[in-house]
Amino acid sequence: MKVIVDLQLCEGNARCMEAAPEVFEVRDDDKAHLLTDHPPESLREKVKLAVRMCPRQAITLKEE
Amino acid sequence: MEKQFSLDTIDVIGPDHYARNGYPHPEWTYLRKHKPVFWCEHPNTDPFWAITKHADIVHISRQPRLFLNGPRLLVFINEPGMDLAPTPPFRHLLDMDPPEHGEYRAIVSRKFTPRGVRELESQIDAIAKKVLDDVTGRDRCDFVLDISSKIPLAVIAELLGVPHEDWEQLFQWTNETIGGTDPEFQQGASVQETLDRARLGLFQYFTDMVAQRIKRPTGDITSIVANAKVNGQPLPQLELLSYFFLLVVAGNETTRNATTGGLLALIENPDQWERLRKNPSLIKSAVEEIVRWTTPVIQFARTAAQDTEIRGQKIKAGESVCLFYPSANRDEEVFGEPFKFDIGRNPNPHIAFGIGEHFCLGANLARLELEVIFRQLVERMEYAELAGPVERLRSSFVGGIKHMPIRMKLNPARN
Repeated sequence: MKVIVDLQLCEGNARCMEAAPEVFEVRDDDKAHLLTDHPPESLREKVKLAVRMCPRQAITLKEE
Repeated sequence: MEKQFSLDTIDVIGPDHYARNGYPHPEWTYLRKHKPVFWCEHPNTDPFWAITKHADIVHISRQPRLFLNGPRLLVFINEPGMDLAPTPPFRHLLDMDPPEHGEYRAIVSRKFTPRGVRELESQIDAIAKKVLDDVTGRDRCDFVLDISSKIPLAVIAELLGVPHEDWEQLFQWTNETIGGTDPEFQQGASVQETLDRARLGLFQYFTDMVAQRIKRPTGDITSIVANAKVNGQPLPQLELLSYFFLLVVAGNETTRNATTGGLLALIENPDQWERLRKNPSLIKSAVEEIVRWTTPVIQFARTAAQDTEIRGQKIKAGESVCLFYPSANRDEEVFGEPFKFDIGRNPNPHIAFGIGEHFCLGANLARLELEVIFRQLVERMEYAELAGPVERLRSSFVGGIKHMPIRMKLNPARN
């Protein structure tokens, strides 16, 4: 799976970082940065939660 | 026990219904089950589709180019004396659609990120402490007038750089704007006159303040907005003044009502109050649950830009959908035991702040304010009980509590 963050939408609410800290990190620029854009299968549920919890709906999960 | 309704007479939009009974949860529960996309007609407004399911509101909110804010912001019930102006008297974030919305939002959005609001925590803490100190020693109060309305007002006024002596005036304009349909705030005037009075008052006030801040900018939000540019141009007058209008009104009333409704929920669920007292670390999930439970914004609307479908129901271009957030936050398909007030609920994917493009700009500030207020209340309020009837606002837009008399014992702050 591939994770994409729409930086136009992202406002650094950091809900993704709570849901999946292995994948998302919100930095001082108030944007979510991907620690990996191809997270392992074992993190799927956490990433799905991050997608759902993002207030701005800025995260997309793509299957490859 | 599920109540039965007839789709011909079911009412989820009449403001009197809200003043009398609070939120129409039995009606929404019925609609979620039997008619989640429901064509609603009311003599005093244009017809609309009532949307009551969590998934459908998310689906609509995620597509801001298909479901527009501009044409119809909310379902407004016309009243005698109401004369909806042909040109809208405001133009702010809530009326804007992409890409314009994003450009205007970016002017202040960084002030409201979790990082941005964290800097305000000690200030908010001091404001809340002062408000509670002022009523310590009394054995009863009107929780709304004496406590819950004062804190958000002080916070937004500080952020905007409004001097203390003008806070009372700001408070009155907010009340008149949100409560324009309620006789208590009309002072004998009509709905339209009440709304106009508040709008013109606020516009004049901020016209003067903007002039000062252009000459001598400070670090406050008024300075940021006053000196902002969109596409290289300063904001046009209407957009500029509407920006302040939005910040003042949205920053005030909603947090006040979440606070009041939150204390009411704790009074009605003493086991949860006790649980929070014993586990102060639950404060964050308690705040989320209070926000889900109270969901102060009842509805916003969207208008379909082209023909589409929701849950198999055809929606024609130009028709509007009304998103009932409190209903989504009791959706049985999303929340286990949705009618249970559970301060430990996790996850809690409520959409009381909306979701997507128009997600509440002030959500992180509201969360922080509620966290501070309830942390202090739990620490200092030994007990509270209702000392009279809870009076609700006559509005089907914001679920307001105007007055909530309580008997209480409030201890002085430790330290």
